[in-house]
Amino acid sequence: MPTLDSTTAIAGWLTSRVASYLDTAPDEVDPDQPLADYGLDSVYALSLCGEIEDELNLTVEPTLAWDYPTVNAMAGYLHGELAGRVASQ
Amino acid sequence: MVHAVLTADLESVFGDPFDHANPVGHDAVLAADERSEPLVAGEQALDAWQANAEFVPAELGGRLTTVDALVRRLRPVFRRDAALGLGYGVTSLMAALNVWSGGTDAQRKQLADTLLDGQRVCVAYHELAHGNDVTANEMRAVRRGMSLVLDGRKEVINNAGRADHAVVFARTDERAGGRSHSLLLVDLSELPADRWRRLPRYRTMGLRGCHLGGLEFHGCPAPESALVGDVGAGADIALRSFQVSRCVTAGLGVGVLDAALFTVLRFARGRRLYGRTVAQIPHARSTLAGAFTDLLIADSLSTVAARSIHLLPANGAVYAAATKYLVPLLLEQAMDELAVILGARFYLREGDQAIFGKHFRDLPALSIGHAGGVSCQLTMLPQLPQLARSLDRAAQAPTALFDDSAELPKLALDALRLRSGPTDPVLAGLPDLLTALRRADRTEDTAALAAELLAELAELRYDIAATTPHDLGVLAPPAALALTERYATLLAAAACLGTWRHRRRSGDTAWIRLALHRLLARSRPGVLVQPAELDEALFTELTERAAHGQDFCLDAGRVHRQLVD
Amino acid sequence: MRRAPIEAAAWLDSLLGNPGDPANPFSYARCAELDDVDAFPTEICARLDELGVARHYVPARHGGGLTDYETAMQVMRMVARRDITVAVAHGKTYLGGVSVWVGGDAEQAAGLAELIGSGVPVSWGLTERDHGSDLLHGDLVGTATPDGYRLTGEKWLINNATRGGAICVLARTSPAGGPRGFSLFLVDKTRLAAGTYRHLPKVLTHGIRGADISGIEFADAPIGTSALVGAPGTGAETVLKGLQLTRTLCAALSLGGADHALATATRFASERRLYGRRLVDLPAARHTLATAYTDHLMAEALAVVGTRAIHGLTDEMSVLSAAVKYLVPTRVEGLMVMLRKLMGARSLLRDEYEPGGLAKVERDHRIVSLFDGNTLVNLHALVNLFPTLVRAHQRGTSPAAGLAAVTTLTEPLPDWLPERQSLVSRRGSSLLLGLPAVAAEITALAADEPELAPLAALTGRFLTAVGDLHQRLAAVRSTPMDVPKSTFVLAGHLACCLAGAATLHLWLRNRAAFAADSADGVPETAALWRNGIWPQAVLSRVLGAMHDRTCRQTACYPAMFDALASQVSADCLPSLFDCRLAEGRRQPSWSMPC
Repeated sequence: MPTLDSTTAIAGWLTSRVASYLDTAPDEVDPDQPLADYGLDSVYALSLCGEIEDELNLTVEPTLAWDYPTVNAMAGYLHGELAGRVASQ
Repeated sequence: MVHAVLTADLESVFGDPFDHANPVGHDAVLAADERSEPLVAGEQALDAWQANAEFVPAELGGRLTTVDALVRRLRPVFRRDAALGLGYGVTSLMAALNVWSGGTDAQRKQLADTLLDGQRVCVAYHELAHGNDVTANEMRAVRRGMSLVLDGRKEVINNAGRADHAVVFARTDERAGGRSHSLLLVDLSELPADRWRRLPRYRTMGLRGCHLGGLEFHGCPAPESALVGDVGAGADIALRSFQVSRCVTAGLGVGVLDAALFTVLRFARGRRLYGRTVAQIPHARSTLAGAFTDLLIADSLSTVAARSIHLLPANGAVYAAATKYLVPLLLEQAMDELAVILGARFYLREGDQAIFGKHFRDLPALSIGHAGGVSCQLTMLPQLPQLARSLDRAAQAPTALFDDSAELPKLALDALRLRSGPTDPVLAGLPDLLTALRRADRTEDTAALAAELLAELAELRYDIAATTPHDLGVLAPPAALALTERYATLLAAAACLGTWRHRRRSGDTAWIRLALHRLLARSRPGVLVQPAELDEALFTELTERAAHGQDFCLDAGRVHRQLVD
Repeated sequence: MRRAPIEAAAWLDSLLGNPGDPANPFSYARCAELDDVDAFPTEICARLDELGVARHYVPARHGGGLTDYETAMQVMRMVARRDITVAVAHGKTYLGGVSVWVGGDAEQAAGLAELIGSGVPVSWGLTERDHGSDLLHGDLVGTATPDGYRLTGEKWLINNATRGGAICVLARTSPAGGPRGFSLFLVDKTRLAAGTYRHLPKVLTHGIRGADISGIEFADAPIGTSALVGAPGTGAETVLKGLQLTRTLCAALSLGGADHALATATRFASERRLYGRRLVDLPAARHTLATAYTDHLMAEALAVVGTRAIHGLTDEMSVLSAAVKYLVPTRVEGLMVMLRKLMGARSLLRDEYEPGGLAKVERDHRIVSLFDGNTLVNLHALVNLFPTLVRAHQRGTSPAAGLAAVTTLTEPLPDWLPERQSLVSRRGSSLLLGLPAVAAEITALAADEPELAPLAALTGRFLTAVGDLHQRLAAVRSTPMDVPKSTFVLAGHLACCLAGAATLHLWLRNRAAFAADSADGVPETAALWRNGIWPQAVLSRVLGAMHDRTCRQTACYPAMFDALASQVSADCLPSLFDCRLAEGRRQPSWSMPC
C-alpha cells in the first residue's frame, strides 16, 4: 500500500477509486472537475466514505464528497485532517 | 353475402388514439370510463363496420372463417378500449358459438339474422354463488307441457340489461353430473313480462363501460324450441365453446398490452430523469424489452392455440386452457413491470399516461370474467398424465399450425373434444425445434437454454408420472396444480419456437432466445443469466416498430400512433 | 403476551368501532362511498384529530406523544386497515414535520408541534412535475433576500398541498444545484401574502381517490429566515435522513392493507362453496391463503424490527429503510394479487362481498410503492450500499450493541436521537452481521429440541445463501448511473435476506415470551411461535425468492393456515401478535357530526 502522506498521493488514490466507480481509466478523471459532472450520483458518492475511512483510518462524514466536490478538494481536506491527527498525537 | 365483404380494418376506422379531437381517441375512451358508460362513438363505429358479422360463420352470411383471423381483426378494439370490445359484442360470440355448434338450422338462421341485424345476445352462465363451478348452477328449466319453465338468477352477465336475446345455461336434471344442464336460446322480448326481469348493473373495478347486469326468472315459460341441442347436452356444448372463447379472449388481451407498452415507451422517451431520458436508463430498456418479449410469447401461444382449434381439434381442450391460464398472467405481470417505469404517472387518471391506468384496471377483469385461472388449471391437470406418457411417440404438429400464411381448414366445433389426446403434438415438437434453434444460433447461451429446457421437460414428465389420480381433481395439492403452470410454460416455449421456425421472420434469433429465457425463468429462476445484448436487440426493434407505425405483435401490423420527439 | 404498541393500536381501533358496520362513519361502506366520488374523508380525519392521533406525529421531546416508532406504525396500521386513503391523508402530517424533527432547531420544532397539536395538517413538498423522484433537479428556487428568502416555482403531486396549513418545501438555493444546492423551508401558508402562492387543482388518481393530491405554486413568496430548516444547503441531507424514518413507517400502510385483504379473503373462502365443498377446504385455496399470510408475517417482522431499529440501530437506517420500503409494499402487492385470484369475480365487484371489494384495497395500496421513494429508488439505494455491506461482511464486523434491544421485544428501547442518523451505514447491517451467531444458537437449540431440526436446517441454507449473495454483490462492477436490471435483482435478494434475518432474530429472541397462550388472543397465535413454525414458513419463501428451487418446504403451512383462520374468525388481527379488533367489540361510540 502506498503511503498517503501528501495531498498528491491522496488525490492519486482517490482518482483510482473514482475511476473504478465510474468504470473508466484514471487518466480520464480530471481532479479539478466536480464528480457530479462525470455522472457520479450524489447518493452513490456517499458510499465513498467507507473506503476512505478504511484506507486512511480516519472517520469522515458521508457527505464529504458533497462538501468537497472534486478529487483535489477532497484530497486537500483529507490531508489536512491527517496532518491534524499527527499533530495532536 | 353482403357482410362477407371485407371492410377497412378497424385500426383505420379508429384513427389516431392521441388525437384529442378523435371521438374514439384516448380522451373520449377515458371520459366514458369515468362516467361508467360505453364509448358510444366506438359502438357506432363498430355498428357501421358491421362488427357482429365477425361472429357469424361465412356460410350463414357473416365473416367468421377462422378463430385466428377473428382475433386479429378484433384486436384493434381491445387496443383502444377493452370495455368497448367486450361490451359491444365478444360476449355475443360466446353465446353464438353454442348455437353454431349445437343449434338447429332454424336456430342458426334466426341467430345469424339477429346478429347481422346489429343486435346483441348475452350469454348467461354465471351465478355468483357458483363462479366457475358451472355444473353446480342452480337456475332451473323444468319441462311443463310444451314449455320449459325457468326459475333462478344469472348474475354479472354482460349486456343482460340491453340484449333482447340470451343463451341461458340451466339445470334440467336434479341429478349431479355432466348431463344435468341444458342450453336455451331465448328471445327475451317474447317472454311474459311479469315472469322475468333484468337485474341492476353491477359496479366493477375494471371494464366500467360494460353493461354487466343479470337476469332473473320466476316461473317463466320459454318455448321448447328454445333448447339448443339435446336436453342434458348443455355442459358438453358449452365446454366446446369455451375452447374457442378462451383462445379468443386471451388473444384479444394481447391488444391491451400492445397499447400499454406503446404508452410507456412514449413516456420513457420524453421523460428526463437524472440528466437523461428514462429510455436511456438500462433498467427501463430491459423492462420495455421484457414486456415486448412477453407480448410476443402471449401472441405466439394464443395464435397457436387458435389455429389448433382448426388443425388439432382433439387437443383444443388443453391448449385453450393452457393459453387462457398463462396468457393473462404474462400480460398482467408485464403491465406490473411497466407500471414501475411510469412511477407516479401510473397512478394518475389524467394526463398522457392515464390510458395506461385504464388498461391496467381492465385487464384483470377481462381475464377473471370468463374462466378464472384455477378452473383452467383444473381443466388441464387430469389430461397431463396421458399427454406426458405419449410424448415420445406423438406425431409433431403440422407446420401450418405456426405458419400464418398457410390456409386453415374450416371451423368445425363438433370436432373439438372435451378431453385432449391421445398425444400432444405441440409439446412433442419441443426437442426438434430446440435442435433447429441450436443449428441457427451456435452461441453457448442457446446451447445452455436448450439443455435447461430439455431438463425441465424431463423433470416435468417425471413429476407428472409421480402423481396419483387423487392429485388430479379439485382436491389437487398445490404441487400438482404447479405442474399445470410448468406444462403451460413449456407449451408456450414450443409455440414460440414453432412460430420462430415457420413464420417469416425466422432469421432473427434475439426474440426467441429472450422469450425462452423469460419462460425458463418462470420454472427455473436464476439458473441462467440472460445476456444483456438480447434486451438491447429487442429494445431496438421495439423502438423501430414504434417509429414506423407498426404494432408490437407477431404481425408487426400498421397502427395509427406515432412517437413524438 | 401483551405489547404496548399493539395495545395502543387496539385501543384506537376499539374507539373507531366496527368497520363492517355501515352505520359507523369510519366503515368500509362509508370509505367506499367517498372513494366513488373522489371525496376527501373530512369527518373521519376530524375524528382522528379528536382522538389525538396526531400526537404520534410529534416526538415526545417536543411535547408530542411519539416515544416509540413501532407504536406509531402499529397505530397507523389500524387506520390503514380500514382505509388507506384516510391513513395517507392524515398520516401525511408526520411526513410534513419530519424534516424539522431531523434538522430543525428547538424553537422551530416547538412551533411546529403547536401547529400540529392545533389540528393543522402539514405537507411535504418535494416532487415537481418534470422531475419526479429526481429531487436534485428541482426548479423551485429559494432566493436569499435581506429579510429571508423568496420562493418561486411549483411543487406537484403533493399530498395535502391544498388542505395543509403548512408545507415543508425543498428549494434550490444555489443556482448550480447539486447536493449542497438545496434547502428546506417550513412555510406557514397563513403567513404568506395574498397572491404570492396558489394551489394547483386536485389530481384524479387510480386509488386513494379521496386524497388531496394536488400542488402549490409560489410566485416571489417572501418568507422569513426562521422558515429555513437547518443550515442553508442541508436540504438534501435532511430529506434523506427524514426519508429513512418515513420510508420505514410506510410499512404501516402496507400491513394495514394486507390485514384488510387477508381478513376479507379468508372469510370469503370459509363461506364460499365450490365443487360441493367450502373453498377453504380445497388444498390449493388453503395453500394460497397460507402463502399470502406468510408473506404478510415476513413484512410484519421486517417492519417491527425496522421501526425498532430507528431507536436502537439509528445509524443503520440507510440500509433498513430502503429494504422495508422496497420489500414490504411489493410483497403486499403480490399477496393481494394472490387473494384477488382466489376470490375471482367477487374481488372486482363494488357491491357484492364487501363495499369497494378487494379491488379498492388493491388500488389504494398501489400508492405505497410509488410515493416517498418508489421501488426503483429504494432498490437503487441498496445498490449504492453494496460496497459498504460487502466490506462489513468480508471483515466479519461484529453487530452493533443495539441489536439485542431492537430484536428483543421485551427490552426497552433508547430514545431516537436525530444526531445518530447517518446517510451511510458504515457497519452495513447488524441484522446480517449477527446471523452466524443466530444460526449457531438455533443449531444448538435443535440438538435439545428435535422439533426445531427443520428450522435449523433451513437456517443453515439461508446462511449459505446470504454468503453467496455477498459474493455476488462483491462482484458487481457497475457504474452508478448504468445499473443493469440484474443488479436490481440482487438488491431485491438483499432485501429478502434482511427480512429473513429480521425473522430469525425476532423469533429467537422472543419465542419464550410469545409461545405461551395469551388470554386476549387465540391459541394458534402462540402455536406459530412454537417449533419455529412461522420462521420456517418465512425462510422458505425468502429462499424461494432468492431462486432456491429445491426449497419447497410446506410442512409448516397447515399451522400457518390454522393461525390465519383462527385469528380471522376470532376478529383478531392477522399478525404475529395477539390483537383483538373492533369487529369483535361493541358498537362505535361516536356518530357522524351533522
